[in-house]
Amino acid sequence: MSGNGAMLAAEDGVEAALIGWLKETLNKDIFDALLMPVRTPAGDSFAYLLLQDPAILDGASPLPPVMPVQGGKAIGRLTMHGDGSKRIAAVVRPCEARAAIELAKLEQAHLDNVYLITLDCSGVLPLADYLEDPVAGADRFREASSAWDRSPMRPTCQICDRFSIRQAPGSDLHVGTLGCADGTAVLVAGSPKGERILEQMGMRAEDETKRTDALDAALAAWGTRVDEVGDAQTERRREVQRELQETIAGAEKLLDVFRSCINCHNCQRACPVCYCRQCYFESGALKLPPENYLARAERKGALRFPPDTLLFHIGRASHMAISCVSCGACEDACPTAIPVGQVFSLLGERAQEALGYVAGVSLEDPLPLVSYEMDELHDVEQPYVETYRNQEVQDA
Amino acid sequence: MREEHAFVPKIVYFMCSWCGSGGAETAAAHHLRYPENVIPSRVNCTGALPAVHILRPLIEGADGVVISGCHPGDCHYDDGNFRARRRVALVKSLLDTLGLEPERVWFRYVAHGEGRRFVDTATEFNDHITRLGPNPLKTRSDT
Repeated sequence: MSGNGAMLAAEDGVEAALIGWLKETLNKDIFDALLMPVRTPAGDSFAYLLLQDPAILDGASPLPPVMPVQGGKAIGRLTMHGDGSKRIAAVVRPCEARAAIELAKLEQAHLDNVYLITLDCSGVLPLADYLEDPVAGADRFREASSAWDRSPMRPTCQICDRFSIRQAPGSDLHVGTLGCADGTAVLVAGSPKGERILEQMGMRAEDETKRTDALDAALAAWGTRVDEVGDAQTERRREVQRELQETIAGAEKLLDVFRSCINCHNCQRACPVCYCRQCYFESGALKLPPENYLARAERKGALRFPPDTLLFHIGRASHMAISCVSCGACEDACPTAIPVGQVFSLLGERAQEALGYVAGVSLEDPLPLVSYEMDELHDVEQPYVETYRNQEVQDA
Repeated sequence: MREEHAFVPKIVYFMCSWCGSGGAETAAAHHLRYPENVIPSRVNCTGALPAVHILRPLIEGADGVVISGCHPGDCHYDDGNFRARRRVALVKSLLDTLGLEPERVWFRYVAHGEGRRFVDTATEFNDHITRLGPNPLKTRSDT
């Protein structure tokens, strides 16, 4: 990450400051369009809008209290077929930017003309909690996020340790608020693309010597605070994941977790990195003649219908765990409150550790399942003891 | 003489159509025997074996899955076995995290000429799974 940054005056709050700044970028023709969450006309929900008119920005909300659609999915839909000729700034949360980066590596999004702008994020409320009473939900969110209290947030947000560009590098510009004095924020460039924007906006010091002490101090204070909170979150994450693993490990407990699954596949549809045009688990490959089911029912004593629920969940994990960004969108989408977000996030983290990968932090790291090293993973190769039984079967 | 109700595991042996199956052919040519409860299943290349096809037998009735492809450097598609190794590592990681006994999956290279090694792998894995006992998922009706 580049050390380049600028101060952002935010007397009326960071959201208002960022909206003002974005308006300026549109007026100065630095971006052609924005993709960002905007309050819907009814006032109680938020949706990603692709917009070019600065007037619409008045209803924008860079950090809405909920995440009805994962921003990575929105960026993927926008740029799936190519870069396009327009410069688009996408204002998203760090996990959404990470999903967009994973999609770009999977060739499901194109980011050359997309400028990812992220903010320090304290999480979002579970969608169901918020929809019970949107007004109270918005208040609860405002209160909690200003105090960096993650307790009312999504379970995956509560243990998120990649909530800022320092732990989730990859976005082009980042708005840092943690540890900043009231009424100020820092704008940090995370890439040469981001630096160019700061330059075009006249915000970039031409060389290091011209940087003001105030900016240096603000950047340092922000960095220190983000690292402190990040370390505490990492510790909490480890602890919570250890507890979670105890509650799900083993056939008995695992099947208990998925017992209320209604096979709606919402988790798959809401997942930003589950991109297949035809999902294997909805394909003809798992739709078999009755004899097959009867044979399985006989073997197992009985067969749950529709079948292959556990195969769907573990199999889906085998498809997306490597790219899982722990956003928790799947859990929001689950109508029966199965902790799918927590389970997938745990599976993803362990699988990524096993293959030495972190999802969505760099466009350069190759995807583990389409690359390899010759000298690695020898622990999965079963060692062979020459002539196991040393006996020729002499019955020919 | 086997006890009447002794546990006989059901084992699926995925082998690539070049070295793995070649090992089986060599074993046959030498009249080497492997346990009858090991079900061979040929795939074009272990690198083309999806993780789901390892998980599916484990959920639906197998006690263990063993995968054999060419030795490193011998893959007929250059790097299929290296890709398979990563995929097996992924499956083992998922099973491990979920407490589903990753040791029920083995990955071992077998070359075309290694009939003995093929038979030993089938036999050794069979003994290993017999010791491990039945796969708890295979008798669950609520999968």
